[in-house]
Amino acid sequence: MTRRLLAAALGAVAAVIFQVAVIYSQRPFPLLIVTVISVAVGASFLLAGLAAWHRWPASRLGLLFTVTGYAWVVPSLAHLPYALPFTVGNLIASVYAASLAHLALAWPTGRLRSRFECGVVIAVYAWNTLQSLVSMLFWNPATSGCGPGCPANLLLASDSPAVERVFDQISVPVGLSLSAIVLTLIFRHWWRARGWSRRAMVALVWISVAVIALSVAQTVASNLNLADSSLLLYGIAPVILLTGPALFVVSTLLARTARGALGTAIVDLQPGAPPEMLRDALARALGDSTLQLAFRVPGSAGYLDTAGQSVDPGQLGPGRALTALPAVSDALLVHDQALQQEPQLVRLTASAASMALEHARLQAEVRAQLEQVRASRARIVEAGDAERRRLERDLHDGAQQRLVTLSLALGMAREQAAGADPALQSLLDSAGQEAREALVELRELARGIHPAVLTETGLAGALQALAERSTVATTIAEVPGRRYPAAVEATAYFVVSEALANVAKHALTDAAVVAIRELPGRLLVAVTDDGAGGARPDGGSGLRGLADRVASVGGVLTIDSPPGAGTRLAAEIPCP
Amino acid sequence: MLEAAGFTVAEAATGAQATETARSVRPRLVLLDIQLPDIDGFEVARRLATEAGGPVIVLTSTREAADYGGLIAASPAAGFLPKDELSGAALREFLPADSP
Repeated sequence: MTRRLLAAALGAVAAVIFQVAVIYSQRPFPLLIVTVISVAVGASFLLAGLAAWHRWPASRLGLLFTVTGYAWVVPSLAHLPYALPFTVGNLIASVYAASLAHLALAWPTGRLRSRFECGVVIAVYAWNTLQSLVSMLFWNPATSGCGPGCPANLLLASDSPAVERVFDQISVPVGLSLSAIVLTLIFRHWWRARGWSRRAMVALVWISVAVIALSVAQTVASNLNLADSSLLLYGIAPVILLTGPALFVVSTLLARTARGALGTAIVDLQPGAPPEMLRDALARALGDSTLQLAFRVPGSAGYLDTAGQSVDPGQLGPGRALTALPAVSDALLVHDQALQQEPQLVRLTASAASMALEHARLQAEVRAQLEQVRASRARIVEAGDAERRRLERDLHDGAQQRLVTLSLALGMAREQAAGADPALQSLLDSAGQEAREALVELRELARGIHPAVLTETGLAGALQALAERSTVATTIAEVPGRRYPAAVEATAYFVVSEALANVAKHALTDAAVVAIRELPGRLLVAVTDDGAGGARPDGGSGLRGLADRVASVGGVLTIDSPPGAGTRLAAEIPCP
Repeated sequence: MLEAAGFTVAEAATGAQATETARSVRPRLVLLDIQLPDIDGFEVARRLATEAGGPVIVLTSTREAADYGGLIAASPAAGFLPKDELSGAALREFLPADSP
């Protein structure tokens, strides 16, 4: 606590003690309820002043609460049985009403909004002073309203109840007009306020209506000389004034609620949610519907908010304030100026926004990196496929052609050597046989490198050829006739080829069914057998490699293989 | 080799030439490589088959029949001979029995 705050706190305590002492200097003692209400009103304003000073050091609201508190407490002097304090106390008895009006017009920032409103506040103070002064000049307490036991009014110029009454009759319409102007301005503030300010104005509107109703009732009652109602109106009804300090409590609660809501909003916000959703969540939590989240337009000095409206940080417009986001240099928060009174809340909002944006940026970065990795993996697999196709073609165009030519030449040599040397014939037969076997082996090798039938005929022909060569009786239940990108065809082919090889090796059955179905945007490849089951995705390098291969084109491989109930190997491969 | 086996042979290097030559020479049998520099042998077979009095077409390749899946069966060709099994006798099998 600073020294200034400590002094203010001591002052408040002293004021309350003074008020209690003064009130109990009267004989007979006043009613306890009246004393309690009177002390409570003063103490609560002084307390609200201290708290507001502490919470909003930059605002004048603390000062205004404090001034109102003293303006309520000090006139208790009038209870002392001496002429000077009696006169002073009565003279300043209604200053608190002017500072209440000042406080209400300056709410919620502590600043008056225009020169006109400054004029209104000055007029209220001036009228208040003038009215008290004139009343005192013509009020003789001994004859009017106080009784012979009262101290003298030192300001009494003329003991003329008639003049006093005339002045009172003039002052009623002036006072009511000023009240009406203040109330109208407060309503206008509420009506024009948006976002956080509007929220902060709601309580004030209700309170002003109640306080001004009290003041009007007091004025009317005093003019009609309704002495019967004085206990109620002057002793008990001021309890309504306690709603003034309640404003401070309400605004504290609003800020606290907003802080809590911010936390929840950020937790509830889906990771990577778009900036407009982040803005909406923050605006809802803060209770500032005018909140803007603006981003720098790449390559320019201008900003655009999430609704696409241009934001000029140099010219924000009246009642708007700007907050930079920590750690996010290209984004800004633009909000209701009244929110600046809650710097902690603004800081929290900015941090929350930064955190969410940073999270979204990191997530986008990770996604982009993943996409890069996926694309590079796909490129590696495609390059591998292309290389295998080239090898197969080289074998076909080179060694295979030469072996065919050799085989044909040996055949011709064998025909020409018919009837010649039997040893030569036998040699040519065996050479021809060797050449043919070499050709068969070379073809097997080439097919293992890359199935030419896949390049030539696509999936339908290639699966037919695969089924015919397989040692398992394979039924092709379904296969689309059209061609797909080479990577998709190769992946689907290798899935079926590996699955059939697994059936032959492990499934203890001699039948399998292959089905390839085209669904929107993807190809579903399934190989089913009714064998032993129990295959596991991590069971061997073959299935792991196959899963990698399927993943390289963005697909998913699944294995359903309960022991004893067959195996279903399925791959979902994205395809255009 | 085919001439040695008693065939009269006209050669063509591409699919387009093969179609042209077949039209002018009107052969009884066309030995058609599936892999040609321009269009593939299946396409040439389809074109030749649509012409009246179309020749007997025998497809051939360095590859095996299995490498072409169902394409051979679906083509109008009379059959397929792997290149290393080519011989006059094997070709004659595809001609009608009464031919010389």
